[in-house]
Amino acid sequence: MSGGSSRTGRSLLLLAPLLVFLIGFFVWPLFSMMSQAISDPAVLRLLPRSAEVIGDWDRKSPPTMPMQAALVEDLKAVDDDQALGDMVRRLNSARSGFRTLMSKTTSALADPANPPADLVSIDKRWEKPEFWIAIADALSPYTDRNLLAAVDLGRNAAGNIEHLPADQSVNRVILVRTFWIAALVTFFCACIGFPYAIIAASLDGWKRDLMLGAVLLPLWTSLLVRTAAWFILLQEQGLINDLLRGIGLIDAPLALIFNRTGVIIAMTHVLLPFMVLPIYSVLITIPKNLMPAAASLGAPPLRAFLRVLLPLSLRGVASGCLLVFISAIGYYITPALIGGPGDQMISSIIAFYATGSANWGMAGALGMVLLVATLVLYSVYARLSNDESGRR
Amino acid sequence: MPLKIAKATFATLTVLFLVAPLIAILPLAFTSSVILTYPIPSWSLRWFEELFFADAWRRAIVNSLIIGAGTTLLATILGTAASLGLRNRLIFFRGSIRTLFLLPMVVPAVVLGVGMQVLLAGFGLTNSYLGVIIAHTVVAVPFVIVSVTGALSGIDERVELAAQSLGASPTTVFRRVTLPLAMPGVLSGAVLAFATSLDEVVLTLFVAGPNQRTLARQMFSSIRENISPAIAAAAFLFIVATVIIGLVVVISRSMLAKRR
Amino acid sequence: MAEFIRFDRITKFYGPLCVVENLDLGIAKGEFVSLLGPSGSGKTTLLMMLAGFEQPTSGDILLDGTAINAVPTHKRDMGVVFQSYALFPHMSVGDNIAFPLQMRGLNKAETNQRVTRALDMVQLSALVDRRPSQLSGGQQQRVALARALVFEPRVVLMDEPLGALDKQLREQMQLDIRDLHRRLGLTIVFVTHDQSEALTMSDRVAVFNKGKIEQIGTPRQVYDEPATRFVAEFIGETNLVEGVVEAVQGAEANVRLTSGAQIVSAVSGAVAPGQTVYLSIRPERVDLTETRNDARNCLETEVTDSVYQGDHLRVQLQNAAHPLIAKLGRRSREFAPGTRVYAAFAAGDCRVIAP
Repeated sequence: MSGGSSRTGRSLLLLAPLLVFLIGFFVWPLFSMMSQAISDPAVLRLLPRSAEVIGDWDRKSPPTMPMQAALVEDLKAVDDDQALGDMVRRLNSARSGFRTLMSKTTSALADPANPPADLVSIDKRWEKPEFWIAIADALSPYTDRNLLAAVDLGRNAAGNIEHLPADQSVNRVILVRTFWIAALVTFFCACIGFPYAIIAASLDGWKRDLMLGAVLLPLWTSLLVRTAAWFILLQEQGLINDLLRGIGLIDAPLALIFNRTGVIIAMTHVLLPFMVLPIYSVLITIPKNLMPAAASLGAPPLRAFLRVLLPLSLRGVASGCLLVFISAIGYYITPALIGGPGDQMISSIIAFYATGSANWGMAGALGMVLLVATLVLYSVYARLSNDESGRR
Repeated sequence: MPLKIAKATFATLTVLFLVAPLIAILPLAFTSSVILTYPIPSWSLRWFEELFFADAWRRAIVNSLIIGAGTTLLATILGTAASLGLRNRLIFFRGSIRTLFLLPMVVPAVVLGVGMQVLLAGFGLTNSYLGVIIAHTVVAVPFVIVSVTGALSGIDERVELAAQSLGASPTTVFRRVTLPLAMPGVLSGAVLAFATSLDEVVLTLFVAGPNQRTLARQMFSSIRENISPAIAAAAFLFIVATVIIGLVVVISRSMLAKRR
Repeated sequence: MAEFIRFDRITKFYGPLCVVENLDLGIAKGEFVSLLGPSGSGKTTLLMMLAGFEQPTSGDILLDGTAINAVPTHKRDMGVVFQSYALFPHMSVGDNIAFPLQMRGLNKAETNQRVTRALDMVQLSALVDRRPSQLSGGQQQRVALARALVFEPRVVLMDEPLGALDKQLREQMQLDIRDLHRRLGLTIVFVTHDQSEALTMSDRVAVFNKGKIEQIGTPRQVYDEPATRFVAEFIGETNLVEGVVEAVQGAEANVRLTSGAQIVSAVSGAVAPGQTVYLSIRPERVDLTETRNDARNCLETEVTDSVYQGDHLRVQLQNAAHPLIAKLGRRSREFAPGTRVYAAFAAGDCRVIAP
């Protein structure tokens, strides 16, 4: 007999490759994306000497000579203009005036003919502790700046959290829009999917197969193909406008594409199967004789539905809604192709920060928001479907 | 009676809503016009020609096949092995491990894409086939896991015990009993992995270079920048392939069912 | 009787749960032993340990004098028939039966010959190319039997093999298996929870309860001389009446019932005067008469109900302190409720059981 331990060993050996693969190429990427969001070593990398001595400072008294000397050494050693620019930007956002101070200082330090005695002799402002506090804070390799900015918050000069000015407040609008679009799509999917599942479950034979096939075919079809199909249908010269004009319902073509209507229609189509299938799978487990039983006990059809079928199928509806909502908040392709600029969801913004402006910190922070929202909803979904199997 | 008519109307309309867009796009693959609208002026195969002979499309198809094949192989091997490992109920954290294996299906592709781009850049794997195959495998593996664990859970454990008692060593039991019975699940898992790779756009946008432009990626930018009936021709191929794949899956499932 | 299989102080724990407790059992070569008990009594676990699917937590299993604990299943040479048959769904009937022969490296000609013979034995020669899913339950059962016997195993183990068959088929298969056992001289260990099946087929029956053997003996012994209250109640139907021992003389005891009636009963275990005991009286051993007769045990009772059940008449009685059931022959007269009758039974048909 192969003992229990050798069997376990063999199982672990079988699990190991995928486990290692996913930890390396799934968990780690997500982790490093999140660390991008909270890490900011730009200042630390340029000012290593200052970092060593500034820790001893009491943050109140004027800067000590070793601190000044270290900063001078660090600034002299900087040879990467872009990195310097990043640093100055960060310091300036913590303490305005840093930009002019730094440019004055670096140009003075770069002058070999006339070496300054110390920093204070370059500019009086180097005496003030505020500027040194800004440097000391910026030396920390971690920052909550990106995470705060993801929800349109920032720290003011005093370090308190406050709203960003309106011209910088775009993320919250997009987050609200993302959840709103997802909620609308979920609502429409439920309105169509629930009755559809009830009808499908009440039928049998070819009618049921047809109704299920109509759900499975789009599910299995490429998402791009479905999006392309809607693109073609919804465009100004598309079939829908032709049809509506043909039957005389409208004179001028409706604007159906590159706007919210198009996004909602296409996303509802794409996600409808995720609503129908969970509800259907719950409905077919409900014995068919329950509704007749309720009727025989004197319940009219509507009350029988409300008291019997609805409570029993609620779990499937909840699963379906969660599934649709989770998928919808992460959607990228459909809004990107069917939507206009005002319909872009959080995924589009993440992609913009990552590929467009190479702002990995913001991409990571928004990604973290989306990831956490998704995982929280998914854990609710998983518990729901676990309870389900536990009950049988 | 009115309820019955309402039900039938609602069902018919919804079926139309689900299926009609896919059907509506099919004839446009055969248009001779350069714009994607009805009515179709005359029939032509020029867009299929474009698909197979225009450089961008042809390379995209070849890339999709290379990456799809690599993904299918990697995901099927990793996923099947892991599913076999998951059968053992004595494994610690079995539920958590299973959840981890399924999670790539849930995590938004853009989020994964950002992380993957950073990581693969660190390995020097951006703009490489291997990088794209790895990224696609991450999202394809859950489908293999679902499919193979499904097939494995359908195997009556006593059948394997019976084989042992009849004189088969553990390796022989695996080769002669477990694997043949799990095969339909492995195959449908492989098909789903291939389909996932074929349809994957978002990760590809993040990790692939111009040389790894896949068919899906090409379709994405074509719809975005310069839509032409070549899209409809590609969609036609996709839908035909989907129907074939769907039939393969259905048939292999019914084979599985018949054996029990 | 030479012992072929020996369970030596076997204990099996599943986590904190003890399913088999310090169990000893010996089985002779050529013997048909049934392990009978309710589900969860440890009988299947014992069989699984004999087959090598499970390991005892402590104790040894000996086959022909050698401990086989460390021998893996596939080298134990035991044919197992499962309740669900466990046929290979992806192989034909013939391939299923050929499987153990292939595992033993037999050549093709001999394999074919033995498969043909095994199929003849279970009368399924015509179905050699069918898949298991194309067979009826009874046919699948016979294929499983042929597969377990074709390699002439040293022991045949059967785990409720007839449980899924309908009653008529089950009874036919019981006789078929018993016949095979005699003809081929097989050693069979048979697990069942069906007491009539165990009584029909076995040389000896081991009655399991809570991981222990309550009693082991021939079918006649476990039915007529139940050693414990569990055995008396689990095998067949019985009347259990409480009483106090007044005297013991050899194999008989005088017992006073709570109603005051005096009963003379056979006794096998050790009981002492003054002890409270149960009497087990099988319903079919009770006679009803209208007048007190000269039987040694005679209780005055009143009929509360009587039900005609085809092959017997079932009469419910109420004695001063105990309900009683009597099963009477088909030819018995009817008894109307309220009739006063005497329930009579011989001392040998009544058994003292220590509580």
